[in-house]
Amino acid sequence: MEASVGNNMEAVRRSKEDRKVLRKQLKASHTLLKHDGISAAQQPTKSLVVANGGLGNRVSREELSAALNEMGELETLIMHPHKPYAFVTYRSEESARKAHTHLNGEKLQCGENSVTLYLSYVDSVTCQEEVSVPLPDGLVLVEDFVSPEEEALLLAAVDWSSTNDDVTAQKALKHRRVKHYGFEFRYDNNNVDKDKPLAAGIPQECLPVLERCVKNKHVDILPDQLTVNQYESGQGIPPHVDTHSAFEDAILSLSLGAKTVMEFRHPDGRFVAVVLPERSLLVMKGESRYLWTHGITPRKFDMVPACDPQSPAHTTPDLSTYSNLTLSKRDTRTSFTFRKIRHEPCGCAFPSACDSQGAPSAPSPPPPPPSLPCCHADAALLEEEYVHRVYDAIASHFSSTRHSPWPRVCHFLLSLPAGSVLADVGCGNGKYLGVNPEVAAVGCDRSSALVHICAERGFQAFVSDALSVPLRTASCDACISIAVIHHFSTQERRLAAVRELVRLLKPGGRALIYVWAFEQEYNKQRSKYLKDQNKKHPENHSATENTQTGGSQEPHGTSSIHPSRHLEDTYRPVENIDVTDGKLSVHTNRTAFNTQDLLVPWHLKEGKKRAEEEPRDGGKKDKGKEKSQKSSGPDTSDATHSPDSKPGASGDTSQTSSSALKSESESSPAPVFHRYYHVFQQGELEQLCGQEAGVKVQSSYHDQGNWCVILVKDLL
Amino acid sequence: MKLLTHNMLTSHVKGVTKGYPLLIKATEVKVNEVDFNAQFVSRMIPKLEWSALVQAAEELGHRQDLPAELVPEYENNEEFLKKVHRVLLEVEVIEGSLQCPESGREFPISRGIPNMLLSEDEV
Repeated sequence: MEASVGNNMEAVRRSKEDRKVLRKQLKASHTLLKHDGISAAQQPTKSLVVANGGLGNRVSREELSAALNEMGELETLIMHPHKPYAFVTYRSEESARKAHTHLNGEKLQCGENSVTLYLSYVDSVTCQEEVSVPLPDGLVLVEDFVSPEEEALLLAAVDWSSTNDDVTAQKALKHRRVKHYGFEFRYDNNNVDKDKPLAAGIPQECLPVLERCVKNKHVDILPDQLTVNQYESGQGIPPHVDTHSAFEDAILSLSLGAKTVMEFRHPDGRFVAVVLPERSLLVMKGESRYLWTHGITPRKFDMVPACDPQSPAHTTPDLSTYSNLTLSKRDTRTSFTFRKIRHEPCGCAFPSACDSQGAPSAPSPPPPPPSLPCCHADAALLEEEYVHRVYDAIASHFSSTRHSPWPRVCHFLLSLPAGSVLADVGCGNGKYLGVNPEVAAVGCDRSSALVHICAERGFQAFVSDALSVPLRTASCDACISIAVIHHFSTQERRLAAVRELVRLLKPGGRALIYVWAFEQEYNKQRSKYLKDQNKKHPENHSATENTQTGGSQEPHGTSSIHPSRHLEDTYRPVENIDVTDGKLSVHTNRTAFNTQDLLVPWHLKEGKKRAEEEPRDGGKKDKGKEKSQKSSGPDTSDATHSPDSKPGASGDTSQTSSSALKSESESSPAPVFHRYYHVFQQGELEQLCGQEAGVKVQSSYHDQGNWCVILVKDLL
Repeated sequence: MKLLTHNMLTSHVKGVTKGYPLLIKATEVKVNEVDFNAQFVSRMIPKLEWSALVQAAEELGHRQDLPAELVPEYENNEEFLKKVHRVLLEVEVIEGSLQCPESGREFPISRGIPNMLLSEDEV
């Protein structure tokens, strides 16, 4: 009897796990369906989609194909550069079934990372074979230009110790180490001091290489200036054109120590990524030197062609064909760039980029990332740009992802005596205003768009700033401020926000404050922000989100399904900008925080664009009902302030048809907004509140990635 | 904006000391039907500024026979509570503005929502 009960339990347990895997699988398929128009097949086929086994989440081709090859003979393995999945087609359906059985839900170890693979059958695999893009005009790449011995000699010739400062010009730039010989290139004016040659000319060790360049007709005259750049993994150089008036046409660049990927951009939008192998020589002349910008994105991994013995050898070094790509971890690369100083004005055929012919001497750099503000005015401007405009633009999408109130907040609300007056400062879409029907709740938010959503739901709300709430002093029995104060960019403003809350409270009244925690792991428990694997919109989460599945934030990292981070930064594709100079970093969603002040990306959902054709409802509101399906959205004309914003959608999630998706994907990728956050360290919120007289911290706790306090106003 | 909300709102223009109650200039007023909850209304009354409520109801032309003073033992006076209920929770200003009694600054009400945002120099 007991044995059979035990067996039944086992069977139940196993099938529960199976069901869990199946659920995740279905969700993965669902995500793909929505994002890329791929259909998951109901019946087994020869082809599978391998979720989480993509270049986009750091799985290399070698590692994945090794695992897949064990199941049978592969026909093709397609890994798109930025996708977190791969498509595999086996020679036989049997092999595909074997792979499905053995690999679905299994962990794959990839270097330092471990991912869990989810396999689903697919009917067809779309393989976008793109035509290989030619190199920019005038660009020549010569592989194996120096031997390993010569490489070692050249690297040894550079003395990075700073005692040689007066002889060469060695500067530690933000992103890489630089040394100049012959003439110093100045980064303040992007030009050379032609009248002040450096004491050290080009090192002797370079002569054989230079003579080889002349012999092979890459240059006519010997260069007289050398700039040595050393890039460690994660370092790069922003896109630029070498100043026309400073240097003659031909520029020679030798890559030593490691390979890298250099990106060329033409003013008309053309983009070519070129792999520069170790010990190769890059010759830039003509258009590639005078017009295209070149740069190296600060990254730790590059996508490079795989050396697949089965496929035809790649002769093109560019990366436009991505059916045969793999990941390459960057190593320290040292480039030797040889140039000839120009003494006459440049008379090139590219005046638009020519400083001798009127153009600015350096291309306008991308706008620098914002710095931490040091005064109220700057703070207000920062918050306007990176909080208010964003929320107004993303309001409906944001609201659609904020539908489940947090249990502990609800607990606080439900503990309030009947007839209490409650203010929700920073009420967002009004999610908490209806939790306790026995209290008189009024909400306020800085975002007019969000306040309108409250009104549509039948709640009382008004538009105002949390730093100056137009409610009478001591008029509230309780206040809540959930995920608000972390949007203030100075300590003074955060304190001022607390002060306002306290002012509103009656003596003995209580306030509940939630802010995003710097420490996403607490008591060895990772927050759902880091943990959760199956979010529809992996990027769009914050501390207080709670989804219908009971999970909350989207965790990121290597074991989740997410569209590429690469899409996030259009002009500054960096991993983590160093914040030591006070600039704000752009955070990678769902990873642990490494700075307290940061910009968190929000990807506006596809299909959620302003549908100007849709009629606006006159203002009919259903009292007390939570309806998010109204097309009477906020006045989205306000949302057009930010140049890169798409106004918030006026429709519901269910209205995104596949045709809308297709047209969306045909146009530019989903716009990304950045919201400013100051995430709080343990104890910081308490300390902040402790600075306010007349109030005591009644309790403080950590709740799913947030630091929380309950304050009590002193009795008089 | 219901009058319950209006009762709590005040002008926060810098330097103003007598910013309450805000004057209501309504161009569109609606009366909704809201479930009557005697206990709720009864509990709200002590939290209200009664004269401000009466004044606001007057401004909207919806005062009807709401008394200028609170009636004693209103807790059990259902007739009275219903009057309060109507004024407090059923009358709603949809379009118009709220005006600071001291500075004259107007805050617009649009689609039922007051916009109380001050500009940088007003704070």
